[in-house]
Amino acid sequence: MPTHSLDDIERLGVYQVYTGTGTGTGFLIDATHLLTNCHVVQPYREVAVEMRDRSRIIGRVRRIHPHRDLAIVELARSVDGEVLALSDGEQLKPKQGVHILGFPVGLPLSLTEGVISHARQLLDEQYFLQTDAAINPGNSGGPMLDDQRRIIAVTTCKLNAADAVGFGIPIGDVRRFIDEFRAQSVAFGVQCPACEELIDRAVRYCPSCGSDLEANHDFGEYFETPEAHPLVGFVERALAGANIDPVLARHGSHNWSFHVGSAPIKIWCCCSEHLNFSSPMAQVGNRGLNELFKYLLSEQHAPFSFDLVGSTVRLNLVVHITDVFAPNEHEHLAARVRQFIEKADATDNLLITEYGCQPAPETQTDYLKGGDHGS
Amino acid sequence: MSIASLQCPQPIRRRLTIAPRDYARRDRAIESFEAGDYLTAVQETLCYLLPGAGAPVFADGKFCFVQGSARVRVHLDGDELALTTALMSLTPEAQSTAALRYVLTRLSATGQLYQPRLHEDTITLEFRERLSLLHPAKLAEVLQRMAMESDSNDGWLAQRFGVDAPDREPVAELDEAEFARALEIWNTHWTSVNELMLESRRRRSVRFLDALGSYAANQVRYSLPLFGSVRATLNESADAYTDKDENPNKRDSALAKCIKEMRQVPVEELRRCLGHAQHAINPLHEGTPSLLTSMLGAGHRMQTTGELRSAGRSLEAALELIADYLYLLADHSWPSEVEAALRTGLDLISGKPWREAADVLWNHANQTARFFGSHGERDRDDDDGADDDVVRYDA
Repeated sequence: MPTHSLDDIERLGVYQVYTGTGTGTGFLIDATHLLTNCHVVQPYREVAVEMRDRSRIIGRVRRIHPHRDLAIVELARSVDGEVLALSDGEQLKPKQGVHILGFPVGLPLSLTEGVISHARQLLDEQYFLQTDAAINPGNSGGPMLDDQRRIIAVTTCKLNAADAVGFGIPIGDVRRFIDEFRAQSVAFGVQCPACEELIDRAVRYCPSCGSDLEANHDFGEYFETPEAHPLVGFVERALAGANIDPVLARHGSHNWSFHVGSAPIKIWCCCSEHLNFSSPMAQVGNRGLNELFKYLLSEQHAPFSFDLVGSTVRLNLVVHITDVFAPNEHEHLAARVRQFIEKADATDNLLITEYGCQPAPETQTDYLKGGDHGS
Repeated sequence: MSIASLQCPQPIRRRLTIAPRDYARRDRAIESFEAGDYLTAVQETLCYLLPGAGAPVFADGKFCFVQGSARVRVHLDGDELALTTALMSLTPEAQSTAALRYVLTRLSATGQLYQPRLHEDTITLEFRERLSLLHPAKLAEVLQRMAMESDSNDGWLAQRFGVDAPDREPVAELDEAEFARALEIWNTHWTSVNELMLESRRRRSVRFLDALGSYAANQVRYSLPLFGSVRATLNESADAYTDKDENPNKRDSALAKCIKEMRQVPVEELRRCLGHAQHAINPLHEGTPSLLTSMLGAGHRMQTTGELRSAGRSLEAALELIADYLYLLADHSWPSEVEAALRTGLDLISGKPWREAADVLWNHANQTARFFGSHGERDRDDDDGADDDVVRYDA
């Protein structure tokens, strides 16, 4: 198949994976299972997977192989992206073309290209496919394809101290990992780094080969829910109170993003003192700006406020870090967060219908009420 | 090289007479807050931040303090505390849309607890919070930043957009003798900076540009009691030309533009923007011995300046040292003896040729850091009764 079959990458079953520590890439191995890197999903047992329409679905981590850096995630529902074929592992050669799909630095699905630099590069006692194709944070867990659009490796890492030295997990290891998963009966298991036997509970020594599983890592952590930072706990409890699934909202460390109706909501820490809630909801038009600006600055919006970044109107709420450590006030603050979310959803519509604004780039125009909003 | 020396005139800006902060009060504020005594926590925070204001007891639930030209009003409203400071009033003649856009773009933002609000035609900066959510650290942050924001924007907004600046605290004008001296300092300074700018362009050295930018901004901040539109314009320019992350060519252009603008400031406008303002909250950072050590003591910074000096590059070495002294004096408040010592350093080299200035200030900096810096001689002198066997680090 010629390379130009990669012209339409949007229909391929390659999706962005979100957790509370970062984002990565995963690809379908069937309609309900996604393969990615272990380091993309760890230490979480539930992750969010974003579809092309920006909706997210929950993914449950079923199997991880920390040593080989592979993981399989079971999706809450089947998805219709195209499942890419696995290469049959035929001889790969240097200079052969490599096409990498992924979400580099959080950007939408992107394709980078290069060649195989070494088909079996030995690094840290494991073999990797080495390539000169650009690999960036966010690419992890994505497929490396050959010119026939078959998966030949899974993107895993690159050398920071060098240019254009990236690595993929060879397809043979990937294929074996998937095959073993197909035979898995337990809900969750971790493969032993030494013998690759599946272990389904926290133990010190591998029941199969007797290796000390705590030698390099606290093996028990794979079976525990990670303890959340108080700030994370506060935000996620507040989101749950507003009927937002916090797992679906996670967008990396101390970051959350989601849509409520038409309004995009972003939550982040800008420093050690402030937790920001912001909704970039509309873009100012060319007329009636004086009235719009007066409305935005009106005291009626307190404790929320609007600001303008370029031409984008944002609704904001700022919570001080000391509030997070005032548990008696959490109920009150959670109500404030809930009001903020409701106001964001309602106000973007108002700005568009009453003040001549246009939807912001991230507005979900399908959810705007009434009229054609130029989506 | 056309400029042979720099003048370091005595400042017209008056020394701050704000009492030092009592950190025990801050600690008491936190203890009171954690014990649920919120009103005491607020009062202790105010006493800590505003040591000269006495103890506001909220007899009538209101309290006002002055920060430069801004009046910040604090009042209790049930179980909430509200802070407000007026910023500007829209008038029929004002460029209202541009002014409102500026407020939305520059004064309203994430990452800050206070926000601008429009009441009829008046924009105020406001903050309102339940006492039970008013941790002293949060209140202190709002008090400091909101007051500073209002003080630094009022005159600029009025000048730029033709709006009114309501509820402002009058700033005491300079007398004629002071103004004459201020004018001389102003003109001499920008002439010197202009000549050094030519030198900077000839040398094409980022390091020289760093020192020149620091000197250009801090000499004015230290010596002249500027406020209003001229200060706002100068600060905005300085943000650009002292930004070490910015492209040097852009910084060079920003400094050149600033020099041109400052030399064109009409005398009457300069007069309007000079005066002795009151500050309830110390607008400067508190100088510390460790800062003195890091700036003037043995370390990478002084080592590289010393290398310039020993390589015969006296102009760069002297300019860096002068800029550092001015930065320490302009942006920080110091105990009187430290401030006097820093001032002495500038007096020693004012009008002296570059080589002599570099040598004298280098030695003076080392002595100052040794005496007043971290683990300095003064610390040892003050350490009466200490165990003499304890090994001390001598910087």
